[in-house]
Amino acid sequence: MIPTVLAAQADKVSLTAQTRIIAAALAILFMLLILDLIRRDRLQERYSVIWFVAGLAMLAGAAFPGLLGLVADLMGVRDTNVALFSIVLLLLLGLALNFSVIMSRQAAQITRLAQERAMERAHEQAARDDLERRLNGTTRAEDTATGPNPDA
Amino acid sequence: MRTLVFIPAWNEAASLEAVIADVRTHIEGADILVVDDGSTDSTAERARAAGVLVASMPFNQGLGAALQTGYLWALREGYDFCAHLDADGQHPASEVARVLAEVQADRADLVIGSRYAKQTEPLPGVAPQGEDYKATLTRRIGINVFRLLLTLATRQRFTDTTSSMRAANRRVMKLFSENYSPDFAEIESLQLAVREGLRVKEVPVRMLERTGGSSFLTPVRSAFFIFKGLVVILVGQFKPRHAGAER
Repeated sequence: MIPTVLAAQADKVSLTAQTRIIAAALAILFMLLILDLIRRDRLQERYSVIWFVAGLAMLAGAAFPGLLGLVADLMGVRDTNVALFSIVLLLLLGLALNFSVIMSRQAAQITRLAQERAMERAHEQAARDDLERRLNGTTRAEDTATGPNPDA
Repeated sequence: MRTLVFIPAWNEAASLEAVIADVRTHIEGADILVVDDGSTDSTAERARAAGVLVASMPFNQGLGAALQTGYLWALREGYDFCAHLDADGQHPASEVARVLAEVQADRADLVIGSRYAKQTEPLPGVAPQGEDYKATLTRRIGINVFRLLLTLATRQRFTDTTSSMRAANRRVMKLFSENYSPDFAEIESLQLAVREGLRVKEVPVRMLERTGGSSFLTPVRSAFFIFKGLVVILVGQFKPRHAGAER
């Protein structure tokens, strides 16, 4: 039998070796996933930094469980679980807000693109109408006077 | 002096031709642009067939974006004045002409055609066909809330905050082509124009009952709409002023 020490039973943060290995493996897998997404052009580098930082933090937490206790002390929180959840929650909230900001900017850009395209279409239509009118004009002029003037 | 009348249209193939003809009859010498907001029906084709220029958005972007396209076009093509009206036939062009006349006479920079402002006298020789505009209860509540809010925010009395029958000069074109909220265009644009020191004026107009389709306002949507309006106006009060709208 392997003696299992549960985190809740100890004063200090003490994760079992099992938990730490799983956490570290997950963190590494997570960072590999981010790398792969960048490699396949599914994620832009500038949006990947924050996820790398998150992955590294996960890895650090797995490697040095004492860190979390330190952070909890700094926050003045007795229960390290509360500290962990608060940090993760705030981080996710910040990320979600960040995405809303990015989304808003891109929505504005998309709107402006659509508007520019719409106006280009109107210009195209105007040019086509103009050309048609001039072609009709020159064909009529041909009957009476000189040939078509390419510069007209 | 060149004038542009633009008509934002989203799937309005049924009514658009009549509106274009109406504008041609009552607003002489004005160029017409239809801003097709990603219609899936034959709106754009019919407008082109009617002989007007069509700015077709590649996809639907909402009324605010469509209106801004009109202001952008007017600004870039060097028009001195512009006006816009709905494509569904609620806005008689004869009334738009009166709204336009106010900016052309330089009595204001931005003029709103108001359904609710006190009517002066019936116009000679102008008798639009159809029922006069009457608001439903939910709509009346919303109207009054926005009226109050906008009046408080701008310290200027507005009766018809959501009217999209408007006329403007180049100062307004400059402002709106850069700043025009896509979400709450009608109300925020009024607030913005007043904040930037532009002369905004209302003119009483007649509008007609909509001929087809139904209003999108259910009570829940109205409540959400009002809430959104509250936020928009409140935030708008704290937006930085632009130096762009010089007098």
